[in-house]
Amino acid sequence: MFITFALITLLGALGMLLQKNVIMAGLCMVAAFFGVAGLFVLLANPVAAALQIIVYTGAILVLVLFVIMMLNSHEEEKAQAPHPIQRWASVVFVSALAFGAVKLVLGSSGVKSLAASGEAMPQAMTLQKLGFALFADHLLGFEVAGLLLLAAMIGAVALTKRNL
Amino acid sequence: MDKLASMLHMTPAIFWMVAKVVIVFSAIMLLASVWTWVERRGSAMIQDRIGPNRAAIFGKIRLIGLSQLLADGIKFFFKEDLVPDDANKGLFWLAPFLAFVPALIGFAVIPFGKSFVSGGVTYHLSVLDPGNGMGLLYPMAIGGMAVYGVLLAAWSSNNKWSILGGMRASAAMVSYEIGMSLAVVSIFMTTGGYDPADVIKAQGHLPWAWNIVRQPLGFIVFFTCMYAETNRLPFDFAEGESEIVAGFNTEYGSMKFSLLALAEYSHLMTASALVATLFFGGWQVPFVQNPTVMLSVASFLLKMLFFAWVFVWVRWTLPRFRYDQLMHLGWKVMLPMSMVNLVFHAWRMSQGH
Repeated sequence: MFITFALITLLGALGMLLQKNVIMAGLCMVAAFFGVAGLFVLLANPVAAALQIIVYTGAILVLVLFVIMMLNSHEEEKAQAPHPIQRWASVVFVSALAFGAVKLVLGSSGVKSLAASGEAMPQAMTLQKLGFALFADHLLGFEVAGLLLLAAMIGAVALTKRNL
Repeated sequence: MDKLASMLHMTPAIFWMVAKVVIVFSAIMLLASVWTWVERRGSAMIQDRIGPNRAAIFGKIRLIGLSQLLADGIKFFFKEDLVPDDANKGLFWLAPFLAFVPALIGFAVIPFGKSFVSGGVTYHLSVLDPGNGMGLLYPMAIGGMAVYGVLLAAWSSNNKWSILGGMRASAAMVSYEIGMSLAVVSIFMTTGGYDPADVIKAQGHLPWAWNIVRQPLGFIVFFTCMYAETNRLPFDFAEGESEIVAGFNTEYGSMKFSLLALAEYSHLMTASALVATLFFGGWQVPFVQNPTVMLSVASFLLKMLFFAWVFVWVRWTLPRFRYDQLMHLGWKVMLPMSMVNLVFHAWRMSQGH
């Protein structure tokens, strides 16, 4: 199961990068999101899987595709003249990021709890636990994020509608 | 049941799972195709016409127009399968499936009858057993996926009118999703759980304890949003004969069109089942504390088909809204209403009711 979902995620991400057509790239991203949702279910976190699909595939990506369709309909993007320095810089940057990410994941406490079995195994995530985590443990961060998003929204409205 | 399972070399659990999947999904497909007939006869009844009643098997068996379904199916199969030259071929093929599959699998989590115990094993009458952790988030996630079918059908046909229809429909679906979600969240709050089995159990068997009485505002918002989500009149902005030809399915013909139409009706069935589960006690039978399994299934089906009929009824009663009216209603009426509903119930709960 893990291999299936991991393959869906990776192939989706790869397809997104290699597709010249923006809409097809968006659809590959949907596939990748689905793979990630499947991985969340395997990690006994169905709530995160459902929220992943509701928020990312159901809302954000629909809006992105919506805007893309509105702006250009069927032209494929022309390739720019490649700059070798960009390519090398991106390789260095990406490998540094990947190294950091892998190190962080392997060093986190979550990896150790994967080895647990029997009684010590953590329970599956529920919406109630998620609520406690958001509104009791991380209340400040949650509120700050909410405020930030509100500010971003008002900014977007102010930018697009200059003469309200 | 165990005997049948062992004959097919399956464990009873897997046999039960397969049986449930087959029964539920074929029942929805059957109901969806029957509902095309209900729609046509119902529209005829409302408009004081006769409706389709001429199709007959061997020229004899008319079955009050039900044989029209068979005729339609055969006709769809034998129509030429046209694909426009400039269409994106792959997506043009994929889009009807992307519309149909979410409409069908959204039903999976809804219990359509009372759980029963047989031979020491509890059998749940829903494809995904309660306690799967997804609960009612699942139909909402799958419902969000339905946008892709419309959007891709519209874009891949490479036709101005189709794209316009797809855009309007997806904008409407995304805007109404927010109001709908908030209405569902206030039900989660008062129930204290988000599994459909919990929601049904919390409502009990007395009709005045159902969520329709406790949260009438939430019901109004949810039911209205369901029209936008299922793309039904008065909010069917994917289509619009007078403005954009047939909208997102202009270029579709034969079985592909049939799939898109079936997707709409399966979606309608799932939406009615959700309304029945969330606000009308699901499989609970009014005034019967411990209904038999069959009675509970019948009660659920009755409620679901009633709401499916209301969808048809409203379609032939109200005209289509204008696009700005739709957005106005969605953002300035439905969203504040569901917020008021949410805050009111949060306040009531904080007061200890």
